[in-house]
Amino acid sequence: MPEAHLRPTAQASASAAPVLRLARRRVSGIGILTAVASVLIPLALWWGLAAIVMHLRQVAFPTPYETALRLLELVRGRLLNDFTIYQHVADSLQRWALGFGLAVGVGVSSGLLLGWSRLFERLSMPTVTALQLVPGLAWIPVAILLFGIGERATVFMIAITALAPIVINTTAGVKGVNELFIRAARMMGADDRTLFTRVLLPGSLPHLLSGLRVGFANGWRVLVAGEMIVGTGTGLGYSIIQSRWTLDYAGAFVCIALICLIGLLAERGVLLPLERKTIERWGLARTG
Amino acid sequence: MIELDRVSKAFANEETGQLVRALHDVSLAVEENEFVCLLGPSGCGKSTLLNLVAGFERPTAGRVLFEGRPVQAAGPERGVVFQDPTLFPWLTVAQNIDFGLRNLGLGAAERRRIAERFVSLVGLADFARARPHQLSGGMKQRVQLARVLALDPRALLMDEPFGAVDAQTRDRLQDQLLDIWESHRTTVLFVTHNVEEAVYLADRVAVLAPAPDGITADVPIAIPRPRDRYSEETREATMALMGVLADLPCCVLPSRRVGETPSREPAITKPG
Repeated sequence: MPEAHLRPTAQASASAAPVLRLARRRVSGIGILTAVASVLIPLALWWGLAAIVMHLRQVAFPTPYETALRLLELVRGRLLNDFTIYQHVADSLQRWALGFGLAVGVGVSSGLLLGWSRLFERLSMPTVTALQLVPGLAWIPVAILLFGIGERATVFMIAITALAPIVINTTAGVKGVNELFIRAARMMGADDRTLFTRVLLPGSLPHLLSGLRVGFANGWRVLVAGEMIVGTGTGLGYSIIQSRWTLDYAGAFVCIALICLIGLLAERGVLLPLERKTIERWGLARTG
Repeated sequence: MIELDRVSKAFANEETGQLVRALHDVSLAVEENEFVCLLGPSGCGKSTLLNLVAGFERPTAGRVLFEGRPVQAAGPERGVVFQDPTLFPWLTVAQNIDFGLRNLGLGAAERRRIAERFVSLVGLADFARARPHQLSGGMKQRVQLARVLALDPRALLMDEPFGAVDAQTRDRLQDQLLDIWESHRTTVLFVTHNVEEAVYLADRVAVLAPAPDGITADVPIAIPRPRDRYSEETREATMALMGVLADLPCCVLPSRRVGETPSREPAITKPG
């Protein structure tokens, strides 16, 4: 470890970091090919599956092509269950944002507490772990009993499924903060609040962010279950369920694809880079 | 100024629950503006003693006094320079120095002025906006020194601060520390297992033997400053101290390798 500290850095300056980052990001031909293949291969599998199912079961299993056509229609403004696709996406996003925001607020603060206090951790961790094991659909009766049918029940379901991984990872992050950082902070006169906000929180950030990533995915995935009880006619999850009655399976597939796409974009475009950047800026670990 | 009065400290081994005696009945006094080195083999409880003075740990028996008052908790009047670099990796060099200044409740302009002054003092003005992982081991230790000096401590507690840097860097850091100590005049309690280092730096060297022996020798170093690492009298003092050390029994605890976090020596547990 001491070797690692001494490494190359005598002449390093603050400007060295971006240069390094650019160098590492340079795209290679193989990288592009792999990326393209990672999209094409599942599409081909989907197509093959659709062909087989149509042949064996004589049902209209939407192919990627039909799904794309339907998507185009919807994007052009054709209504899906009386609403535009934009309305569905916007409503789902809003419910998710509310639920996820709630989960982040409650999850991070209780994670900080659990990570700090062995007593709180012992008291609460079994519950949090159990929470993680409850399947999304199982929350439906709970949500209905608590809030009745409606937006609030849906938001609750998203929040409760996103909560556990955020708490668990924040707790692990706080517990992983080097004891010497805490001592150093106390020695420099940090009170409890300063310790939490300026040491424990940033110190646990790499962990916390991976918790957010899992929590985000959980919350987004439970959208279908959550919108079963939303009561209004909008939402991507709601539309998927409705296809059982409308037989608009291509429309349902569009919604599934949009859920995947938005999820993928948010994870790859926002959360994962954020996590990477944090780890990079922190200098890879807590070696400081 | 610093006074340990018959201090003992024992730790419970986390696995076996057995009590391990780290310090037994140790007494030591450090006068104001004195530079005292605490010398001893690895694992003899030097770091534990320093942690008691810093307020990170409580003695099992005896009293630890600072300026006549018992030490209750860590605080900026006793600036600690750790062996392992403990700069916050999420802050820049300047922000690391600013961390303690903020806790003092100073205004932004004044904080910036002080931070700039101490970054320059340790020769890192060009690195004020760098992050710790971009610095070498020696530079990190200089930042550690700057961030505690900025808080105007009454005493500096240094736990083998130059143990993990190469010999050449260590010599330079020692000289820099002596310069700063002479211009700022604070009390220094400096833990080391390096005899040459102790002789070069200290007004007085206290030799700590593994428990239950405690401080077995208290040797004033009367060599005038500035000192010469290679002079005859430096060598004589070094040889004399080495003789004292050679008489000590080997330590009971596993020796700590350089750079290893002190997870065994003082069993670290999170308070609260």
